[in-house]
Amino acid sequence: MNAAAVGAPPGAKSLVDRFDALLGRRVSMRGLALLRVLTGPVVLLHLRPYLSDSLDGHTYRDAFHHPYAAWYPELPDAAYVALLWLAAIAAVAMSVGFLTRLATATTFTIVAYNVFLSTTHFHNNRAYLLIVLGVLALAPTGRELSVDAWLRRAQKKPALTQSAPAWPLWLLRFECSAIYAASGLSKLVDPDWFGGTVTWQRVVRAREDLNALPDWTVSLLTDRAFHTGAAKFIVLTELFIAVALWSRRTRYAAVWVAVVFHVSIEASASVQVFSFLAIAVLVVWAVPSTRDRILRVDPTDESQRRLATLVRGLDWLARFRVETAKPGSRLEVVDRDGTALHKGAAVAFTLSRLPLTAWFALPALLLPPVRRARRRR
Amino acid sequence: MIVVAVVLVQLAFIARGYWSDHKEFAFQMFPESSTWRADVVRVTQDGRRVPVELPWSGYRWDVLVPNRGLPYPSVRHHADAGLDNQLAFLEEALDWVARNTPRDRETRYLEARVTSWHNDDPPQVELIRSDVRGGTN
Repeated sequence: MNAAAVGAPPGAKSLVDRFDALLGRRVSMRGLALLRVLTGPVVLLHLRPYLSDSLDGHTYRDAFHHPYAAWYPELPDAAYVALLWLAAIAAVAMSVGFLTRLATATTFTIVAYNVFLSTTHFHNNRAYLLIVLGVLALAPTGRELSVDAWLRRAQKKPALTQSAPAWPLWLLRFECSAIYAASGLSKLVDPDWFGGTVTWQRVVRAREDLNALPDWTVSLLTDRAFHTGAAKFIVLTELFIAVALWSRRTRYAAVWVAVVFHVSIEASASVQVFSFLAIAVLVVWAVPSTRDRILRVDPTDESQRRLATLVRGLDWLARFRVETAKPGSRLEVVDRDGTALHKGAAVAFTLSRLPLTAWFALPALLLPPVRRARRRR
Repeated sequence: MIVVAVVLVQLAFIARGYWSDHKEFAFQMFPESSTWRADVVRVTQDGRRVPVELPWSGYRWDVLVPNRGLPYPSVRHHADAGLDNQLAFLEEALDWVARNTPRDRETRYLEARVTSWHNDDPPQVELIRSDVRGGTN
């Protein structure tokens, strides 16, 4: 699967045709496969309080709960608890990719059943988790990064195609963007929020929690005028992420800002699994094509060899094909548009395309030598 | 079709968040700085008003209602998901406790005198009552 296959096909006649072609085109499922791996631990974190209660002999029924509908089926306690543990097992199976489709569908079904049992179970982070699990259950994400794929190889069966129609990916991209947009818009239209009243009051009321900070920081954070600007910055940040994710020119900036945004939220508020899930979902914005960049390394050069090892270990989105160059060659990376980068620029570019190192390496792409190198063909 | 349907449903949920107390899939994060507190009492058959902070008939309010920011209503709290959402949960909690305390033979209904501060607006006071408990009239 290469990038050329991801572009719009010629001859699409109308907007509807083009939309249909976009959704139906086969693309790499690598991003969704990686998200599947990352979502398993998120599900376990989500289930932890329910499982912990069950070990103490408690279920939701022992305390205040409020069903969405009288007809919604409720199970006897033993069956309910068994279902929760089945969800935990299914989440592990989903994450490692064992009976992937069945495990993912089971995880989604049970998590959804549990969340919809009571209005008290519902939180924004759980809504997002349901959306992610629903999309993962619809897409064939078990053909790579999975025990299923390993078993096929071990049994010497032919590998299944790793591409599939793009619509689940586009659906999750829409949901990801819609969440930032909905949050930002609700604040934009609320004069108390956009004017800074909400953030100012929250900080002032939590003043005791700021004691560890220097006096000047506390003074700044509790200054009403500071929040007049800060609130607008927060709202515009959310809206920027929602919009900028859609353009390849601004996508990396949006992802970088989104990571900072979620780390800041995690440090300042209790949002259950939201931060980890939201950062994990960002992988769906990777171009859905694989091995379309080439990293050429000289195996006799220790530093180049180390970079190749790093890439083989951390290239979870399968961005690179690692090739051996002649002894004495410079380190070279060839991007999918044919641009060749060497030495430091090649290292910065390579690290900026690996999920774990991207956030640290992306700013290096703004350095003048790297920018110059990327402009050269 | 699935994609179009999901997109339309998602947009509908986002719009619904602007008027519904419970804002499922509307993703309005940290919507308000509003706070609230409530004096919750049990109103007994003989007209006494007993604070729920005092255990009764083997029940404790904070055990019955440990979630959604409701276990200690007399303490002023932030309304995490907005005031409307918080007070809807409080009303539902009163009804749930009224219906699910069978050993209690003296309470007629539960009542909450709620003081709420919407962001930096002046405080509002309102009274919320549970349904009258069956068999206690």
